[in-house]
Amino acid sequence: MDYLLEETVPMADLKKFESKYNDEIQTQGRASSTAQFEYAWCLVRSKYSADIRKGILLLEDLFKNRDESAKQDYLYYLAIGNARIKEYQTSLKYIRALLQIQPGNRQATDLEGVVKKKMERDGLVGMAVVGGATLAFGALVGVGIALAKSK
Amino acid sequence: MASASSSSSSVTPYNYSYIFKYIIIGDMGVGKSCLLHQFTEKKFMADCPHTIGVEFGTRIIEVSGQKIKLQIWDTAGQERFRAVTRSYYRGAAGALMVYDVTRRSTYNHLSSWLTDARNLTNPNTVIFLIGNKCDLEAQRDVTYEEAKQFAEENGLAFLETSAKTGEKVEDAFAQAAKHIFQSIQDGSLDLNAAESGVQHKPSGGSKSHSLTHDSAPKESCNC
Repeated sequence: MDYLLEETVPMADLKKFESKYNDEIQTQGRASSTAQFEYAWCLVRSKYSADIRKGILLLEDLFKNRDESAKQDYLYYLAIGNARIKEYQTSLKYIRALLQIQPGNRQATDLEGVVKKKMERDGLVGMAVVGGATLAFGALVGVGIALAKSK
Repeated sequence: MASASSSSSSVTPYNYSYIFKYIIIGDMGVGKSCLLHQFTEKKFMADCPHTIGVEFGTRIIEVSGQKIKLQIWDTAGQERFRAVTRSYYRGAAGALMVYDVTRRSTYNHLSSWLTDARNLTNPNTVIFLIGNKCDLEAQRDVTYEEAKQFAEENGLAFLETSAKTGEKVEDAFAQAAKHIFQSIQDGSLDLNAAESGVQHKPSGGSKSHSLTHDSAPKESCNC
């Protein structure tokens, strides 16, 4: 399951859907929701967080301003994009919104599990860093006391 | 005997020798996600919503004495996803192309799916034709014989399955793996090629003999 957050889009595909999106803006004034969604879907699978953020903006725009029938798609990829840039709370918010539209949607509940596991893992890493710092501080204090005593 | 280890649920890293990438393609509603779920969870999902984009699943199976991890990308069948899902075809070692035996239109669209699969994968990719929902005999709209003939004409392996009852689901995934493994052995599939869809994990395999978890048939419990 973690693969959903780790696989990356082939660069050639990202470029292809980027030019399709840009061409539509140039010729029609704005891109169709299909072209915008395809481009955003590629962007949120990029290895660069700047791309992912851009994809999120495009999906937010689709969600607010475009067809009702595809809202679950936008929410799902908003959740994926946010999870990939470690915005886990925002990701969970979109998963919950998706579950309101489609209660029990298994893709949503699976993703929720992955995101929560990631949060846990990152939380543990955070605690380990804090723990390590505390140890280091303790050691310094110890050295200080020892030095003071030796004088 | 050896079956004592079949209940093991702990999966150690690299207790398999190969990774094969699969894709599942075909019209919407033919049961692609249900096939994946039946294969990975051994359960049937009733009334599942349309897949959003792609889904992913894995399972380790044993083929010709080798433990093989299948990484399966299940693509959404709805047209609006089709352009982007094509990027998942690249580097697939196996492609399961699914139609619904009770809906002729899904069978008629196979040539378009086949064209995509041929154009976007490599020449060694094993393409497996699957006629799903074979439990619904009364509603059958495509005969076994004509699909078999289509498969033969196009050099595809073919099986009819039921994701609902589980019939032949296991066989479809395993037989595709067997074909891939054969082409590794006879040298026609170059593991070093960038898009072979196969990764070799030489550190595993030999020492993982005690784990038979995933491939153990369920019915073998004789307690």
